[in-house]
Amino acid sequence: MRATTTRGRKRAAFIALTAAGALALGACSGDSGGPGGGGDDDGGSSESGDVEIRFSWWGSDDRHQTTQEIIALFEEKNPGITVVPDYTDWGGYWDKLATTVAGGDTPDVITHEERFIADYANRGVIADLESLDIDTAEIPESIVDSGRVDGTLYGLATGVNAYAMVADPQIFEEAGVEMPDDTSWTWDDFVQVSADLSEAAGDGVWGTQDIGFNEAGLNILARQKGQTLYNEDGSLGVDQETVAEFFQIGVDLQEAGGTPDASRTIEFQNAGPEGSLLGTNAGGMGIWWSNQLGALSDASGHELELLRVPGESEYERTGMYFKPAMFYAVSATTEHPEESAAFVDFLLNDPEVAQMQLTDRGLPSNLTVRESITDQLADADARVADFMADLEDEIVDGPPVPPNGAGDVQDIMINLNSEVLFGSMTPDEAAEAFLTQVADATEG
Amino acid sequence: MTDTPVRPDAPTDRQRVREQRPLSELAAEIPDTPRKRKVGPRARRILKHVLLIGFGLVMLYPLLWMLSSSFKPNEIIFREPGLIPTELDLTNYSQGWFALLHPFHHYLLNSAIVVLGSVLGNLISCSMAAYAFARLKFRGRPLWFAIMLMTIMLPIHVIIVPQYILFSSLEWINTFLPLIVPKLLATDAFFIFLMVQFFRGLPKELDEAARLDGCGHGRIFLRIMLPLSLPALATTAIFTFIWTWNDFFSQLIFLTDPEMYTVPIALRTFIDSTSASSWGPLFAMSIVSLVPIFFIFLFGQKYLVKGIATTGIK
Amino acid sequence: MSVIQEVAKTRGASRETRKGDGKAAAIFLAPWFIGLGLITAFPLLASLYLSFTDYSLLEAPNWIGLENYTEMFADPRWTKSLAVTFQYVFISVPLQLAAALGLAMVLDRGLRGLAFYRSVYYLPSLLGSSVAIALLWRQVFGADGLVNQVLAYFGIEGVGWVSHPDYALGTLMILNVWTFGAPMIIFLAGLRQIPTMYYEAASIDGASKLRQFFNITIPLLSPIIFFNLVLQLIGAFQTFTQAYIVSNGTGGPIDSTLFYTLYLYNEGFGSYNMGYASAMAWFLLLIVAGLTAVNFFASKFWVFYDD
Repeated sequence: MRATTTRGRKRAAFIALTAAGALALGACSGDSGGPGGGGDDDGGSSESGDVEIRFSWWGSDDRHQTTQEIIALFEEKNPGITVVPDYTDWGGYWDKLATTVAGGDTPDVITHEERFIADYANRGVIADLESLDIDTAEIPESIVDSGRVDGTLYGLATGVNAYAMVADPQIFEEAGVEMPDDTSWTWDDFVQVSADLSEAAGDGVWGTQDIGFNEAGLNILARQKGQTLYNEDGSLGVDQETVAEFFQIGVDLQEAGGTPDASRTIEFQNAGPEGSLLGTNAGGMGIWWSNQLGALSDASGHELELLRVPGESEYERTGMYFKPAMFYAVSATTEHPEESAAFVDFLLNDPEVAQMQLTDRGLPSNLTVRESITDQLADADARVADFMADLEDEIVDGPPVPPNGAGDVQDIMINLNSEVLFGSMTPDEAAEAFLTQVADATEG
Repeated sequence: MTDTPVRPDAPTDRQRVREQRPLSELAAEIPDTPRKRKVGPRARRILKHVLLIGFGLVMLYPLLWMLSSSFKPNEIIFREPGLIPTELDLTNYSQGWFALLHPFHHYLLNSAIVVLGSVLGNLISCSMAAYAFARLKFRGRPLWFAIMLMTIMLPIHVIIVPQYILFSSLEWINTFLPLIVPKLLATDAFFIFLMVQFFRGLPKELDEAARLDGCGHGRIFLRIMLPLSLPALATTAIFTFIWTWNDFFSQLIFLTDPEMYTVPIALRTFIDSTSASSWGPLFAMSIVSLVPIFFIFLFGQKYLVKGIATTGIK
Repeated sequence: MSVIQEVAKTRGASRETRKGDGKAAAIFLAPWFIGLGLITAFPLLASLYLSFTDYSLLEAPNWIGLENYTEMFADPRWTKSLAVTFQYVFISVPLQLAAALGLAMVLDRGLRGLAFYRSVYYLPSLLGSSVAIALLWRQVFGADGLVNQVLAYFGIEGVGWVSHPDYALGTLMILNVWTFGAPMIIFLAGLRQIPTMYYEAASIDGASKLRQFFNITIPLLSPIIFFNLVLQLIGAFQTFTQAYIVSNGTGGPIDSTLFYTLYLYNEGFGSYNMGYASAMAWFLLLIVAGLTAVNFFASKFWVFYDD
């Protein structure tokens, strides 16, 4: 039986009923793999036949289906390894992951995200991937580096996304407003265009959805001005003036009539891509991650376009960046590091995987693989690929991995931006609060 | 309150109880005719129906909206949010049924197993504990009762991790045991308390009489308390059914293999805030999963209202 | 069984009653005791222990004494979440109970099709914790929702109620009242336990409906009212799912729906401060246990048992 000694120790600890003992063992024990999967061999050595590894990811039904097919393909190509799927939606995913880690049942291969990876890396939950046999030759170094925490490689990017403006040309056309030139537009132009569009399009249609709820937008503005949201060491690299300026954009939009009123804005914000301003044909623009273009286009029924974020030529440099869509990470305590590594390698480098999932986990980070699917991409996916290819030369670098506690920052952002939009805080007050609260959340 | 409640004098007549009258005779004194209400004039009755239907429609609006949206193609649910669907499209149902790793009935079946186990467990174990708390005198009763209530005052979120560690050390993770065994062991204090309240509402003379008839606690419990508490048992069964059917968090945490997933977990996999969500299939399958509980309720509710007034003792 | 044996047994039984039923109680409570010892106690005590530690879930806990508690009292968001929760509990619980009792009486008897009505009125409670509820609630209380459509008919321009900091909590209270099904059912079952002869006797005495309600229904239903009050209170303090789903997990807008348990959850699972979350939970337990104790004490004055 797998992990009998660990189990035995754990049970002994439990019988002793020292809560401390049980919890400590839970968190530290080297147990891993599916707790229900009793089919493993005794020691986890790779030669001795059947090995079971657990792979966890988040998503919705489409992703679950393709991932099942991918797993089936892997099992076919690697007899002797069984991959147990473990999936749920984004919200439930993190609760479950943390609980299984606490219980000593960490999945062997974990899908991760940049805002949480430092939390897991710094606490020794996930392994140094460079000690494992995973081929990263085809992945650009900047993308590989996006998974480093303090120099150690903890995550390999599944693919990349860009935070970009999404526009609905049909709404622009119907309103008789010209689409902006995204290579030269400034933030002021953006406010102006939004106001014009609201004005021209009439009741129930607005220029843009508010852009202030995600710290990625702030990061882009900061980078344009030669700053950065987080420094390499995890401290804040943005000054109060810039944060205030970012919140001010929301106020300007509201005053100029480019966005709906505050409570309607929050309603759109909470409704996901399908219920968003663009998704319901109630507006011309919105800022999204590039991989959401498909969902937005489907919902709107229009052919949406990706535009550069405003201000790319306004300040010192360009601010847009490629964000690792997700990471694959491997448990530090897995009993099957080799099989886990083989699976990650397969996910990243096998062209057939890419054929199946296309851009669902971001535009593939393996360039050869990316090329091999480019001509198969249709509609929205193709437009994303083209857009990203155009950006390739303009993007200077990528921001470092966010520090521990970065998962809280979006909540802080949502909260403060709401304060600003409802007029209960000035942009300056919100900026000050932002810096204190983020520093609090990310210390330690 | 100064008014003492109106009490019947018949069953409190100790003298007659001492005469060792058979229980059936005693029970016959409890009226079993439905309360005769003078049914108002026709107009008033119709008005009542109209009001009930009207209010019901307002209350059901969100549900009706969901029902109607489940017939709309996924893309137009948000663009055309009106209540009346322009077309009747069943693809959400067929798509939703087969969208996940297993067809949807697999999850329905898993949920049914968990639910059945939970209902049985709660019915047996909670009613037993309740009988002890309601009718037996033993040392430390108030203290144990307080402890019992305390166990439901902590939010699940802080006990789920220790629970996980406990069940994991028992190797129960990814089985239905963590969901069913606790119910067999009366960990649902809500229902213990519920039945305590109902048991205490039953005339004590009944079990005193039974005792004089020579019944032990076991028989009093089985022959008198349980049959007379049918509404409480039905409430327990129905609530356990519904709450287990809808319970998301513990099922999410304790079941890791999609093979074992239940309806609430399956429903969540239709939506994901970071990518595209299948709202149409979600609505369709939500409706599907509501159907069993609606019918359970529709048929179960007649036991809910079978109070002492309509139950005889045999 | 001979008559003598039977009599002897009866005597024995009645003597046993006077002395207490320790043995019988042990048998009837056995499952509960086993459950308490094996399943309930450990997680409970573990969370108490964790409340004195720094516990990230990802690493072993670290004893820090009372630090979580002192930090809590200095945390403005904690105070806010407490305020939100108290406001919610003290407004929505009485409203929900009143609605439940009122409808239980209407749906008790005397009309055709009651079984159907009962089921229909229970339906919303089945939906209360569905993932779809956020969307459905937006259909009613959103900027373009049902409520505003009705208001517009009267020429009044509403706001987006669900996402306005002044009204969002109110819509959640309405959501709670809307799911009155559970207490309604318990009331219905309780009403059915009141023997009809009381009403008949009262009618003969010429007591009005209102008097019957206060002199028969309320006293005889009081154990059930008490039950609903105690448990709805305990439940309302732990309100989580609806606020979590409707506000997208943020407790927004501007923390206006930051329920205690939602904040606790965000601290525990979002910020990996499970120690702090446990401290919050135990403080909540103190509040709820205190209120429940008060409730039990007060019940001596208004709850009538038949024993």
